[in-house]
Amino acid sequence: MNWFLDVQEHPGLLYVYATLLPLASFVLLLLAGALRTALRPAPGVSGSNLYYLLGGDAPLRSGGYIATAGIGSAFVLSVFGFILFTRDYNAAFPHHDAQPGHAAVQGQGKTAEKESDDKADKRREQFDGHWKDSFDWAWVKTGNSTTSAKEGTVLKLGYKIDHLAAIMFLMVTLVATLIHLFSIGYMGEELQPEVEDHQVHTQHGSLRRRGRFGRFFLYMSLFCFSMLNLVLADNLFQVFLSWELVGICSYLLIGFYFERRSASDAANKAFITNRIGDAGFILGLIIIWTYVGSFNFEDIFHKVRAGEKDPSNTRYQFAGQVVRGEKVGFGEGTEKLRITPDGSEVVLFPLKGNAENIAEDKTVPTKINPGAGDFGTMPYWLLVTAGLGIFLGCVGKSAQFPLHVWLPDAMEGPTPVSALIHAATMVAAGVYLVGRCFPLFVPESRLVIAYTGAITLFVAATIAIVMTDIKKVLAYSTVSQLGYMMLALGVGGWVAGLFHLVTHAFFKALLFLGSGSVIYGCHHEQDMLKMGGLYPKMKITALTMLIGVLAIAGIPTFSGWFSKDAILAEALGFVHVNRQHGLLFLLPLMTAGITTFYMFRMWLLTFTGKPRDHHVFEHAGESPGVMTVPLIVLAFFSWVVAWGSNPLNPEKSYLEEQIHHAQHLSVTADFGMVAGAGEAAGEHTETVEHFTHEYHALAGYLALGIVLLAIIFAFVVYWFKVLDPAEAKEQFPGVHRFLWNKWYFDELYSAILVRPALTVAGWARGFDINVIDGTVDFLGRATVRISSWNGKFDLGIVDGLVNLTGNVIFGIGYSFRRLQTGYLRSYVLFLVLAAIGFFAVLSYFVAKTAAS
Amino acid sequence: MTPDLNHYLLLGAVLFVSGALCMANKRNAIGVLMGVELVLNGASINFIAFARFNPIFAIEGQIFALFVIVLAAAEAAIALAIVLNFYNNHMTVDVDTAEELKG
Repeated sequence: MNWFLDVQEHPGLLYVYATLLPLASFVLLLLAGALRTALRPAPGVSGSNLYYLLGGDAPLRSGGYIATAGIGSAFVLSVFGFILFTRDYNAAFPHHDAQPGHAAVQGQGKTAEKESDDKADKRREQFDGHWKDSFDWAWVKTGNSTTSAKEGTVLKLGYKIDHLAAIMFLMVTLVATLIHLFSIGYMGEELQPEVEDHQVHTQHGSLRRRGRFGRFFLYMSLFCFSMLNLVLADNLFQVFLSWELVGICSYLLIGFYFERRSASDAANKAFITNRIGDAGFILGLIIIWTYVGSFNFEDIFHKVRAGEKDPSNTRYQFAGQVVRGEKVGFGEGTEKLRITPDGSEVVLFPLKGNAENIAEDKTVPTKINPGAGDFGTMPYWLLVTAGLGIFLGCVGKSAQFPLHVWLPDAMEGPTPVSALIHAATMVAAGVYLVGRCFPLFVPESRLVIAYTGAITLFVAATIAIVMTDIKKVLAYSTVSQLGYMMLALGVGGWVAGLFHLVTHAFFKALLFLGSGSVIYGCHHEQDMLKMGGLYPKMKITALTMLIGVLAIAGIPTFSGWFSKDAILAEALGFVHVNRQHGLLFLLPLMTAGITTFYMFRMWLLTFTGKPRDHHVFEHAGESPGVMTVPLIVLAFFSWVVAWGSNPLNPEKSYLEEQIHHAQHLSVTADFGMVAGAGEAAGEHTETVEHFTHEYHALAGYLALGIVLLAIIFAFVVYWFKVLDPAEAKEQFPGVHRFLWNKWYFDELYSAILVRPALTVAGWARGFDINVIDGTVDFLGRATVRISSWNGKFDLGIVDGLVNLTGNVIFGIGYSFRRLQTGYLRSYVLFLVLAAIGFFAVLSYFVAKTAAS
Repeated sequence: MTPDLNHYLLLGAVLFVSGALCMANKRNAIGVLMGVELVLNGASINFIAFARFNPIFAIEGQIFALFVIVLAAAEAAIALAIVLNFYNNHMTVDVDTAEELKG
């Protein structure tokens, strides 16, 4: 237990505490809730004192305070952790500060640096000891060996803090704390002992149910714990566990109003869609476990990619890259591997031989037994499959095309949930995992990621234009922004993608909470067509939301500007080198305009113009302070979170620098090498990186131009009303219907997946009813028939015989009974007659004897 | 003519049959008892006759006759007691009223 409290030695434990705090509040709320339910008295009976202490019939507001305190203190710990971490890091790697961001691609071996490299290695070891640790959790037997350290493998639970994790912690805990605060106000209705749900109709009018205030915060706490654990994890398996936990929390919270048909359907849809992704995730885990034998991120990356130097301190030619080769020679032990750029095998490191051997067109002997031999290999296509499998999990979780359909439906959950889980954190977990597993993705996989992101961001943005539900607009906007992040990761913009992940979390949480505030103010009206002119009624909400809109549009100095420009610059740099993939820049550039248009459309429709529904307008009002304060704080962060020394220079962002450090520290792999592993990777990397920097300004100006055009267009349509959107709808009815029906994805899935599944299920049901049930029923009926025959035989023949015997005996007895008259004289008569008979017989025999 | 064994046996048989008929026909309990005495005496005559005419049974016949007399006396005493009780219960000595014994 001592080590657990030794923060001096293991400052990374601060983050473990921060993870466990929400778990503690979860357990506390769970126990209290269970106790309260157990103590709930029957109607009309007064309960025990403890029951009323725990809130009695109505949920206690303190449930919300406990959860908020848990995540709030986690935030405080994260801040301390971040300060300690950056200080520790700057002490351990002083030279990286000089050139932030380029450390990973720097360092083509120079002998002069060797000594300082050694020192750096030592410092780095010390640093690692501070910020990562793990303990054995479960033994896994391999083959038929006994459980021993050598032959078995062990699953570990552990934590590893790098800049990315530290920043994610800050982001998740800060956003979650603010959303918890907001929820205390927003979920206030659930504090009543009886809540009426007007959207559910029963035979006795609207549904009445108990308030679920505590349950809401219970789920939220569990979610926070799972999400933090996901970020904290140092291995894929722990990530997978947390992955499923956040999935179940998402399911529970989407279905929070589960009496509503739409909510329970949406929860099921989200869960089932995510299962498809998770199937891919599990596939990836299996492949990695089989070939690499470890789930630890570092172990995996060190296996599939060449290290910096071999044991004899010579630099690898392929440092940081996936090395491929072709098997030559046949038979056990005589196989050799010839290193070629497009070979079908991947070398699994570490390597015992010299680095010189691992060079192009060299042939090295190989034993396909990583434990005993030189090195192992794995088929290249399996590495691609593993990467794509894990990416499929991320596609599901991050709602990427083609699994994006669940996220808009997930808006059935309470709005704070949409803000926290379905905008800021959980859906970003997919992007985070792609970032974490980045070295696993070979160029082919990355191209798939890039195109998935590009398609997603465009499709979702076009749908968002026509949506009228304020939350649906934001949902599609979230899908679209996640597409940007995926695109960035796919084109090699690791930093840009994760940078956007963090900034997006702030402004999207802000926008969602703003929409929540609007919905709360309008008494659960979500249709923007019924709003309008709300600005004077809710100024704080309107202004903070405007900041969010400006941030997502990418107006200079707002956080979205920094990250979106970074992504566009990466895409432009990539497209410049790989001209055939021009769409990867054109789509995000166009979508930047579309995004701006629909966000301004949303804001203008909601807050400006004439009120379109007077009933809604008259009752609208500003939300209480507990809801507006989080809005203001989030608005502040949405604006400034990306600022660096000069807020006007998009390439100087403190946050981006920090993520750059993470790239160096946790993902030692080649960046930007996407198409054609054949080219010498070093040069290639340089090229994309080079163009990315050269075109950063160009991409920024292009984006800004399109954004300004879009703003003007939005104002023309929705402010000056020069163009009437209704007219446009009439002019292009096909386009509108296509977009309104969300590109017919739901219909498509219904046609090719759901309905066939139901048909097959129908067949199965028919088979079940007709064949299986039929057989069972037939057997049953036959048994009954045979039994009835058996019964008849038993009753008729066996019983009949026994009864007959009895009846005969009885009849005989009965007839004898009549002889016994009771008259003395008749007895004497019988006596006499018997004597006469006796003598007659006797004399007959005597006579017979005498005669013979 | 001196009577021989057959005459005595005939007398005994007549007495026996008379007694048996008396038992079968009389409804009066006293009459039935009388029939019983006749039957016993018929039997006694047989015993005496055999004792007189067959030296093998000289003693046994007489002793059996004595036994029968004693037996008859005892029997008569018990039977009369029964009859008395019967009379007390039924206020009659008609044996046909004693049909409770029937099955």
